[in-house]
Amino acid sequence: MNLTSENTAIVLDSTSDYPDAPARFPNMRFVPLYVRFGDETFRDYLELGPAEFYEKLRTSPVTPATAQPTPADFVEAYETLSAYERIYSLHVSAKVSGTFQSAELAAQDVGGDKVRVVDSMTASLAIAMLAHAIQRRLARGTTDDEISALVERFHVHCDVLFTVETLEYLQRGGRIGKAQAVAGSLLNLRPVLSVENGEVVAVARVRGKQKAVAEIERRFADATTDEPGLRVAVAHADSAEWVGTLSELAWRVRPNAEVEFTSTLGAVVGTHAGPGAVGFFWFQDTD
Amino acid sequence: MELELVRHLARSAMQNLEAHRRRIDDLNVYPVPDGDTGTNLVLTLRSIVEALDASTATDSEAVAKDVTRAALMGARGNSGVIFSQIVRGFVEVLGEHEGISSALLGRAFRGASDTAYRAVKRPVEGTMLTVIREMAEESEKKEHRRVPPADLLRAVLAAGEDAVARTPELLDVLRNAGVVDAGGAGLVEIARGMVHGATGEELPEAPMEADALGFDAIHQELSEYRYCTVFVVEGESLDKDGLEAELEKIGDSLLVVGDATALKVHVHTDDPGHALMLGTAVGVVEGVEIANMHHQTAQREVRLLEGGAPSALATLATGLVAVCPGRGNRRLFESLGATRVIEGGQSMNPSAKDIVDAVEAVPTDDVLVLPNNSNVILTAEQAASMSGKTVRVIPSKSVQAGFAAMGRFVPTESADENERAMLEELEGAATAEITVASRDASLDGVDIREGEYLGLVDDVAVISGSDLDVVLDEVVDRVLAGGQGFLTILTGENAPPLDGLVASLEERDPHLEVEIHEGGQPHYPLLLVAQ
Repeated sequence: MNLTSENTAIVLDSTSDYPDAPARFPNMRFVPLYVRFGDETFRDYLELGPAEFYEKLRTSPVTPATAQPTPADFVEAYETLSAYERIYSLHVSAKVSGTFQSAELAAQDVGGDKVRVVDSMTASLAIAMLAHAIQRRLARGTTDDEISALVERFHVHCDVLFTVETLEYLQRGGRIGKAQAVAGSLLNLRPVLSVENGEVVAVARVRGKQKAVAEIERRFADATTDEPGLRVAVAHADSAEWVGTLSELAWRVRPNAEVEFTSTLGAVVGTHAGPGAVGFFWFQDTD
Repeated sequence: MELELVRHLARSAMQNLEAHRRRIDDLNVYPVPDGDTGTNLVLTLRSIVEALDASTATDSEAVAKDVTRAALMGARGNSGVIFSQIVRGFVEVLGEHEGISSALLGRAFRGASDTAYRAVKRPVEGTMLTVIREMAEESEKKEHRRVPPADLLRAVLAAGEDAVARTPELLDVLRNAGVVDAGGAGLVEIARGMVHGATGEELPEAPMEADALGFDAIHQELSEYRYCTVFVVEGESLDKDGLEAELEKIGDSLLVVGDATALKVHVHTDDPGHALMLGTAVGVVEGVEIANMHHQTAQREVRLLEGGAPSALATLATGLVAVCPGRGNRRLFESLGATRVIEGGQSMNPSAKDIVDAVEAVPTDDVLVLPNNSNVILTAEQAASMSGKTVRVIPSKSVQAGFAAMGRFVPTESADENERAMLEELEGAATAEITVASRDASLDGVDIREGEYLGLVDDVAVISGSDLDVVLDEVVDRVLAGGQGFLTILTGENAPPLDGLVASLEERDPHLEVEIHEGGQPHYPLLLVAQ
């Protein structure tokens, strides 16, 4: 089957931090996860935007928790796409969330093989980058095989480095993964983290923001070459000053790089990363 | 299946689950230890109850449809989602008939188990899935076919309880944490609520939350304190609240349970001696257990590493042995990830064998050694050549230099990467120390009198005098001459009070970040490192 943006849709969950997707592309949908402050539950982005969330985080006496969308939420999204013949449903790493599981159940509910549920094995803007990579191929016509090959390459070559003010939020939410190894420190040291095999790992620990930027720069330079098609994204949790720093870094190190997205981390990802976190993503895709 | 009966059973299940919600939250270590399994199950069940309240279904099939839909709509969390599939499989079978019999229930449990297994891509045993499967197997037994449904349900409940108790045998993460599976435990409580709803019996009280938890499970929560201290105090008219209030001042994770004649105490503290003293002040102390939790965490990581468990905990790539003096310094190095710390340093150098022994005790093949003293570097290199492991010595000449390098250590990264980062840090660090002169002397052109403070920067004497503030001022000036932004001070035995130092330093340079830690080393009241 020749897949195009006319017959193929893309469903994202809100951990992609790409709420504008449906407005930009008629074949995209955005399904929110839930954020809970005590007994109050909000749909990520739709009922609680990033700005309100960080404000609430500062003032609320209770710490937030998150929950995956229900299978019914996905069924509903898939039903709005009945005019399409194929749906790619792209989700946050199944190692850190049950979102993928909910989407799988919904896909079974829809039946047949219309819905392809993809574990991105990463989070945030990396998922948005994957959506764009698929969309570029749909624009010129593609196949399921070509998309499978893309997803495989994405699993290996899409990189993320991020740094957080404190590991407390990752720890509290149980999403700390192997970065546990650098937690519990008495000292004001900043971890530099990545996502490997779908879970959070620590790659370095440095003193201060400047050193964290230097570490990101060193690793970015080591892992990339300056060729067209290198796409970069920057996401931050209520600390916009990072956007300039890291965009500038990307262009300085790789003048050919395209900054594809910059955005604020939404309430769900923000709950686990904590204020002051910043993520730097890259993916080389010449298509 | 009759709507009023289903409503009643769902409410009864919900009521019992609510009573156990906190306990189940606390059990939650798998798949993600975020402590919300009980809450998620309650929310899922609540949406079923609400949908039933709103339902107007008149026949069995319509009731089944409403329940299935409500479970799917309301499913929260992994456990909620799997539970929604259990419900779906269960009511789909019951929906086919208007009445209920034991034979039909047997098929319903089978349907529940099969649907749940089908829903999960890679079913993991030792979870809710195992529990529902074993319940289904029990329900299908021939001997139950002709008994009243209430008796069948009791037998199924017992099988479920048994399955939950055995979940740690099937899943390493649970065994290592000393807990049973949270989702499975939740499922049993739901079933128990239904049995009691069906039979009209009183529900038993929910067990005490604290009693239900194992020793290791408590330590899933991360404590800033070092020692887990557990003991029993026996006496007469013991004051539980009073003891609790005193213990609260010295630690956290506090549990004091029992009655006026015997209290069980659990506390995380840096001062277990003080905790015991509080006990002996009011009664007779027995059953004392003191565990070093930092050590336990490392051990658990090793266990998980060896067991190959799919775990959220770290797997180590590189081990690290540090030599350093003073209890505070030991703790700092351990908190930064040192696998082993050997007590030693100035005038108490460890032997090569001490270092080899420590290297061999580390669970990794790649080991880094921080000698932290210029006189220990050679011994460390000798030890490296004696050991069968791949050992690299990071040549730190002082505790504070080693401390700076230690900040870069990431045990899950390769030895190469760690060595590179730590050498870079040593390169860029400036060190200083303040000691008290043991005799009159002249060193590097500085005249020194016995008993006076002597300041050295990068091993060169720069100032001596009786006024500490003057000496410290000069030393800090020189150690920060390279424009570094971070200054760490490790205080030793006989350290002078440093009130106001941080403020005056930060006033001098608002961008400077200063940290002071209690190092506890002998001979050097103050060790400084600028990074």
